[in-house]
Amino acid sequence: MTDSGATPASAADALVEIHARRNQVVTATLVPHWYWPAVGGLIVAFTAAVETRRPWVVAVGSVAYVIGLAAAVGRVVLRHRAQVRTSLIGAHGAITIVGYVLILVALGLGTGFAAEAAGLAWPSTIGAITTAGAMTATGPPLMRYLRRVMITRPLGGSR
Amino acid sequence: MSAPRFDELIHAPTRLSLVSLLAATEWAEFRYLREQLELSDSALSKQLSTLEQAGYVEIHKSFVGKRPRTSVTLSRAGRAAFDGHVAALQDIVARSGLTVLPGG
Repeated sequence: MTDSGATPASAADALVEIHARRNQVVTATLVPHWYWPAVGGLIVAFTAAVETRRPWVVAVGSVAYVIGLAAAVGRVVLRHRAQVRTSLIGAHGAITIVGYVLILVALGLGTGFAAEAAGLAWPSTIGAITTAGAMTATGPPLMRYLRRVMITRPLGGSR
Repeated sequence: MSAPRFDELIHAPTRLSLVSLLAATEWAEFRYLREQLELSDSALSKQLSTLEQAGYVEIHKSFVGKRPRTSVTLSRAGRAAFDGHVAALQDIVARSGLTVLPGG
């Protein structure tokens, strides 16, 4: 027993509860698995529409892309009824996210230019397919990594 | 690093769970907290009132379209009290030689 009246066992139980509740918040606010192939598919469809160079296809593809993206992002945002604390992600997590986006962009552009240099048809769409595939394959592991970063951060603010 | 300060108000089991959820968020909706904690509206309101009177939480009421929305934020004082309480718990555990490992 301590001055506070809490036993070491009850203090340990309280810390376990605090960790569990943080885990609960973090897990509930992660981007769901379906988001990655959905957004990847939209990117491919939009790029293919633009690459047809037919005005009506570009117009329909653009509208469909905007509506589809708004629906996907809106569904994720509306599902969230709590916002995870920004500081849990920290500099390491933020750098990971920025690096991830840059790698995806570089991969898509690189593949697209390579396809064009090789004389392949639909080079931009090939680049978009590469990006979409990479997103679908690596989005869930990225979420798992960010979850681990957030739940293993020491408790107690800046500690 | 926060100075250890055991907080009896936060340590009560339901409030500990509630403040722990809020500490991991920028804000949380009333409905979200009620579901996560499996409390009734009145039980959660009572706990939030206690914390609000202590200056630990801020409650914001707004409308999204025609639907009322209540969101809750841990105040600066509440966050400081929580951090101090966590440090006190860690001290108690460390002095006893126990170890707490975060779950995955």
